[in-house]
Amino acid sequence: MNTSYLELQGIRKTFGASTVLNNVDLTIQEGELVTLLGPSGCGKSTLLRCIAGLTEPDGGRIILERKDIASLPPRSREVGMVFQSYALFPNLTVYENMEYGLKMRGVAKKERETRCEELLALVDLADKRDAFPQHLSGGQQQRVALARSLAVQPKVLLLDEPLSALDAKIRKNLRMEIREIQKRLKMTTIFVTHDQEEALTLSDRICIMNNGHIVQDGSPEALYSTPRTEFVARFMGSYNVLARTEAVRLFGQGVGSADSFALRPESVKLLPLHAEDSEGTQGDKRIVEGTIESVNVLGNIIRYFVQAEGVRLTIDILNDGRSRRSEDGGAVRLVLDPSQLLQLEKEGA
Amino acid sequence: MIKSRSSWTHRTLMLLLMIYLLLPLLATFLYGFAKEWQTTVLPESWTLEWIREMFKDIRFLEALWTSLYLCLISIALSLAVMLPAVFVITVYLPKWETFMKGLVVLPYAVPGVVAAVGLIRTYSSGPINIAGTAYILIGAYFVVVLPYMYQGIRNSLLTVSAVELLNAAELLGASRMRAFVTIILPNIWPGVIISTLLSFSVLFGEFVLTNMLVGGHIQTIQVYLYQRVGESGHLASAIAISYFLFILVMSTILMKLGKKMNREVER
Amino acid sequence: MKARNRWMLLGLVPFALMVLAFQFAPLLSMLTGSISKSGASGFTFAHYDKIFHSAYYLKAIKNSLLIAVYSSLIGIIVGLLCAYSITRFTPRIRDRLLMLSNMTSNFAGVPLAFAYIILLGNNGVFTLLFKQWGWDIFSGFNLYSWTGLVLVYVYFQVPLALLLLYPSFYGIRDQWREAAALLGASRWQFWRTVGLPMLTPAIFGTLGILFANAMGAYATAYALVGGNYNLLAIRIGSLVAGDVVNQPELGSALAVLLALSTLLAVVLNHKMSKRSQQFTASYASNPNLKRSRSRGRRQGDAVQEGVNP
Repeated sequence: MNTSYLELQGIRKTFGASTVLNNVDLTIQEGELVTLLGPSGCGKSTLLRCIAGLTEPDGGRIILERKDIASLPPRSREVGMVFQSYALFPNLTVYENMEYGLKMRGVAKKERETRCEELLALVDLADKRDAFPQHLSGGQQQRVALARSLAVQPKVLLLDEPLSALDAKIRKNLRMEIREIQKRLKMTTIFVTHDQEEALTLSDRICIMNNGHIVQDGSPEALYSTPRTEFVARFMGSYNVLARTEAVRLFGQGVGSADSFALRPESVKLLPLHAEDSEGTQGDKRIVEGTIESVNVLGNIIRYFVQAEGVRLTIDILNDGRSRRSEDGGAVRLVLDPSQLLQLEKEGA
Repeated sequence: MIKSRSSWTHRTLMLLLMIYLLLPLLATFLYGFAKEWQTTVLPESWTLEWIREMFKDIRFLEALWTSLYLCLISIALSLAVMLPAVFVITVYLPKWETFMKGLVVLPYAVPGVVAAVGLIRTYSSGPINIAGTAYILIGAYFVVVLPYMYQGIRNSLLTVSAVELLNAAELLGASRMRAFVTIILPNIWPGVIISTLLSFSVLFGEFVLTNMLVGGHIQTIQVYLYQRVGESGHLASAIAISYFLFILVMSTILMKLGKKMNREVER
Repeated sequence: MKARNRWMLLGLVPFALMVLAFQFAPLLSMLTGSISKSGASGFTFAHYDKIFHSAYYLKAIKNSLLIAVYSSLIGIIVGLLCAYSITRFTPRIRDRLLMLSNMTSNFAGVPLAFAYIILLGNNGVFTLLFKQWGWDIFSGFNLYSWTGLVLVYVYFQVPLALLLLYPSFYGIRDQWREAAALLGASRWQFWRTVGLPMLTPAIFGTLGILFANAMGAYATAYALVGGNYNLLAIRIGSLVAGDVVNQPELGSALAVLLALSTLLAVVLNHKMSKRSQQFTASYASNPNLKRSRSRGRRQGDAVQEGVNP
């Protein structure tokens, strides 16, 4: 059962002089939701368009259910796609939009109707059945686009930054909705985004892309807790990235052989300068002194920028109301845990 | 205070401009209904005789009919040729747009007289001898309306994001042809109608090419008007008035449609 | 283009044929005609030679150039003032005014000449009125002369200039004006240092179109003065369609000269519109300025509103 459902092998694409996709390999299991995450221009949308057949790769194989579909036109690939701008047909009503794919496939009218009614209920738009897309809100349009591509029961669903045009609140609700529908239908899905929070909450697996290849992939937890390169560490969160000399100054000589290191902001503890040493230096934890440069309250966490041993660190402390807020310029002690210090590989390794 | 004063200057300026622009129109209008108009600001007496005469004039009606069907044929031909061409260029060959932009300004670079010289030389002898026939005129008209058609169709395609709609339709299983007919055409239709109407009013007012290419053989409304100017001023006025009314109706429809389109796009 | 898209090229075939047959073949034929011997085969510059040694044709060229320059300059000044003025009205009134201008810009050629004959011709309403009232200043005016032609040309240049220029006034944003005022600039200083420099490309670009428009204008002059006034366009017309003598080669040579002048003007317009796009590009990317962008689109259309009369 654990065989790959969709497999990309060595996908290459260049536009003029720039290489957009550089030998991308990727395998996806049936029913999995995989996110392609990366900054704009990393090639994630191009990869998606290659799978859909809207862009022709220069080389490589795309295998869906053991069949190479790389040479098929889009309409024969059995792949559904939701576009960033939804691409709803303005001359057709919500219902007609949803029915379009079934019509093109020659599905009988009766069956079309039952299928579309089901989907209308699924995306909660039964009352908008005969409205035109331009009269719907952005979130509603997005749901129509989703339902339209699901109507033809594609083997793979591709979502190209489907939430980026919506405002924050709708975006959060809609992404949970998408995830629920995806799980219920066991729909194999590839989701493209540049928003790491979105990727973390939504995915079974995340592939981080940079400069035309996948630099790391894994479960959201794994990616967040063990970034392999500086790029991933910076992209996944507000990791402190330390050069070797900086790491040695903070942690001593035994830090390992890497050239750069990552330290999670919430792994450092702050103590007042003269506090009783309650939890301090047990085990191999280290204590250094530092000065607070600035403090930002970000809702449930407080973010400190601290200067210690000539290194500027970002430190997040849970805002539980009890923690004393230290002032700017105040002196503090930092409790550092060497086991939390991650060794990073060189870029492109 | 400054504002009210400046607005007063602007009002005067616009008033003067409108008088300047509308005076010739008004004069033609009055002349078409005037019986006696020699030495007074307004005509001394009125008549509907000229309008009546115009409609009794079989040559006027013929010229009107000729104009109408020549324009309609040319525009139908232009639509049939331009719709697929502009679609292919805008969607699949965006690199060619530079060339198309050149074609669009050609009517300014190559005025009617110049175009007529070339057309007459090309088609008055040799294998295709169509000088003086409706064919050469329809060909010339095609070139005249080309910029309007290209611009109109292209803008509509861009406004509806044709490429993306096409991609979506194809992924849902539609063939190119089917996607074009069921999705692209219905969505660009309003824009296409606007450029069609615009082209129509341009062709209706065409004189240079018509007169030089087929003036002796085919009488359009403009050629007929030109011949009538020398004979009876009042009758010519009546003809000119009906022509303006036509243009006025066209402009109003164009404006209304354009506004409606803009509103829909912004929504 | 992808291999399976190749057949789409078929859609271009009729278009290519029509453009070749009715746009490029005639131009080529005109070019070759202008350098081929009349009534014989062979290659010659005799026609150009003849034109540049004939006082008659040189006069026609000079008349055309002068009329084009004068009418364009007057047109651009009036158009500029009116375009600024039109932006000071509410959108509702503005749109009405624009529609009227647009309509009158269609009012060119034969009907225009005719209207002016009614107003100012030998037996025109105003001519007779002025005579009766004894206004001598106008007695020297002759519609069928150079002054008369300029007057009529200006009539169709003004609305065109207005339609081409007014969108660029929206490129000058009120916030700039306010910023300049806060920095201590007077109204006049603002226009001199920011406003007019911003408009300059648009002004020269429009000037190019107006010039080409006047150079190529045929119908108006033809209907007004017939063959009696010596203009380049009129000369070409009579040589080719032949009221008098039929000399297509000489006509072609004159047409090439006319096309050269209009081509230069259009190239000027093209260069200038590129430059003004550079100005506007800096804020076109701002999504909050939807309004100014949709106006930009209308500006593109407005270029097309102008018709060779």
